[in-house]
Amino acid sequence: MKNPFEAFHHTGARKREIPLDTILKSKEETLSKILTGYEDLLKNEAKDLVWLMQYSTVIKAYSIAEKGIEGLEYTAEDIEEFCYALDHSDQIPYLITGPAGIYISALCNHAQEQEICLHLRDLTVKINLLGYRLPTDKKLMVQGNVGDFTGIGLDGGELIIEGSGKNYTGAGMKRGKIVVRHNLGFNTGHGMTGGELMVGGRIKGLGKIVGGKLYERDQLIFPNEGIKPFYV
Amino acid sequence: MEIEHIIQKLWPRVRKKHFYPQLPLPVVIEGGEDCALEIKSKQLSISSAFYDKLKEDMDGEEIVEAVLDHGITHYMYCPWDFHTHLTLYNEAKKVVRQKDQAHRAATYFMDVVTDTYCVKEKDTNIATLYKNLPKTGVHEVLTALYEKIWGEDLGSGGHEELVNRLSRIPYLDRKSWKKSIKKFTEVIQHILEEEWNDEQMSSHRKPNPMGEHSLENYSLEEIDQGLREFAGAVGDLQEFKETVEDLKEELEEKGYGAGGMGRGKGNPLDANLLYYMKLAESYTLPIRKLPIEKRGYLHPHAHRPWEIGKPFADIDVWTSFGKIIPGITQIWTKREGETHGEYEGIPDCLIIIDSSGSMINPRERLSHAVLGAVCACNAYLKHESRAAVYNFSDALRGNKVVLEFSHDKEQIYQAICRYFGGGTALDLDDITSLLANADNPDIFIITDMQITNLEKLIDFFQRIDNRVTAVHLGHNVHTTRFKDGMAKKKNISLFNVKNKEDIPKIILGKVKEYLNSPAEWR
Repeated sequence: MKNPFEAFHHTGARKREIPLDTILKSKEETLSKILTGYEDLLKNEAKDLVWLMQYSTVIKAYSIAEKGIEGLEYTAEDIEEFCYALDHSDQIPYLITGPAGIYISALCNHAQEQEICLHLRDLTVKINLLGYRLPTDKKLMVQGNVGDFTGIGLDGGELIIEGSGKNYTGAGMKRGKIVVRHNLGFNTGHGMTGGELMVGGRIKGLGKIVGGKLYERDQLIFPNEGIKPFYV
Repeated sequence: MEIEHIIQKLWPRVRKKHFYPQLPLPVVIEGGEDCALEIKSKQLSISSAFYDKLKEDMDGEEIVEAVLDHGITHYMYCPWDFHTHLTLYNEAKKVVRQKDQAHRAATYFMDVVTDTYCVKEKDTNIATLYKNLPKTGVHEVLTALYEKIWGEDLGSGGHEELVNRLSRIPYLDRKSWKKSIKKFTEVIQHILEEEWNDEQMSSHRKPNPMGEHSLENYSLEEIDQGLREFAGAVGDLQEFKETVEDLKEELEEKGYGAGGMGRGKGNPLDANLLYYMKLAESYTLPIRKLPIEKRGYLHPHAHRPWEIGKPFADIDVWTSFGKIIPGITQIWTKREGETHGEYEGIPDCLIIIDSSGSMINPRERLSHAVLGAVCACNAYLKHESRAAVYNFSDALRGNKVVLEFSHDKEQIYQAICRYFGGGTALDLDDITSLLANADNPDIFIITDMQITNLEKLIDFFQRIDNRVTAVHLGHNVHTTRFKDGMAKKKNISLFNVKNKEDIPKIILGKVKEYLNSPAEWR
């Protein structure tokens, strides 16, 4: 029988592979590898869908995250893509913001780029622990709001938040600089020993600060006469 | 002219390449030398000045073919229809919050999609065309993007960071376009702002070389359908309202009015009204017919212009010049004959709607009461029946709208959409006098039943024989009281609406046991 659509066969069609196809394919592959690493972290650290934020759990989770991304080649855009995948994708069974933040921090700390900008304005969840242990040679800029424990244990890097943060921002930071354009929550700078924390908006409450400098709307509020360093 | 000759020569081949789109033969216009293409109501027009300027660097046939490929792909692939165009504009607007910049972002995005589709799927000279086009501002970035994603040397380069981000967008994945345009707009946002600021200073706008995409591209039918789909797709009224308000001028200029199409200017567009109108068109409420005494068959009586939504079956082909175009096509208006007998028909309907403080303000959020009432009104008007409206809050203090039985859709919609936001009391005298003006009309009442004089209303409904469709929003003690009060009445049917998905479940004029014994309850 004659194909009635034969006249359309190969008409004008070229269907060639263009570099865009390769870019998208490699993007998908990288994302899938990043997701695998994250799932491994969850399997190890949040078996019962519960993750307790403790000093030891954070350290352990970070070392698992580092192992998970070992040998992975990715860019800042891949990290951003992963953040949105966490938020929307059905590829991930669940999102636990603690381990997710540690995993993203590990990705940022080991990225090839020195400057990373994450556009997270459209994220519906606020990720905790972003900027954990950010090292000296790194600058991380986040567009959008972030969750609790942002920039904890900052290790010399520069963290800029173009939005607001929640509680315990800069807790335990040793050196480096955190700039938050808008507001911060309670226990800001809790246990920080060095570095600078600059807040463009308002701070709900300070933690027990040991060292470093803290500015609220360009005013140095720590150390000053009213707030003395807390010594353990 | 040389270019006309080329178009005539190439057109059959280009049409075949794009699987024979239903487009007229492109024409040549004087135009400017900076803009290649203009699309108005499916008519592609190529600028001769642009052609003459570019001919120095590129073969004439290649120029025309590339421009045609671009124009046809807009029609065949992206945006494809007005709904897609609106959706893309709406998503871009969420990022830039400025009408003009959102328009541009949507235009650039559609161009990238279109051209990338052509380069991948068709045999085209678009890449050569871009190589020879001037590269400034956003076009410099886009040409650099094309270089990267098409793998062609277009003499651009640079903007590595921007291009890296842009090249990760899946332009050819239609399902992701909503997400993609947001990302696209975010990346080029600062260039759009710069471009806009420069133009504000110089008061001169540099046109897009591949043409602008405005409402000019669409016919009134396409706009009507696009708005209907858009009303159903957007999450809330405010989103719809914002987009329609942005396009209000252009829509009115095109002659698009809320009351239907082809009404011309001077009929200001009310975005709220339009939202309910378009959303209601997606729902069809069935009406049970009623045996009406002395109603004979319908016979063609007079002509009137056809509008979208009117039945095709009534079109008079002999006076419509063989065209289906609102305003030109003629439709038969039918009138009842005088033959007596027991024929089934649709009576008129009195719509009673509660707009007290406990109800949602239809101009702020999607009001299920208004949507339900508009759907009911549509159902009756479609059958050539009339509708009256009694919109009440504290009616005894004058917070009410009383609209007599009428066929005027827009007037009825306006009466339904009126919001008072006060107390809730009915003036039953008003309802009695409205009912007296029609022959045993149906009653459609939609309320949350938190009415001060509910007992009087129950008593009133106990006394009348009209078919009543009572819709209550949510459950409370008052709805239970109403339900109990009406339990024995066979001419009253009750429906509960919790969300808009419940609206199609309403059956207007549904009467218990009506089908078994029509005379029993009368």
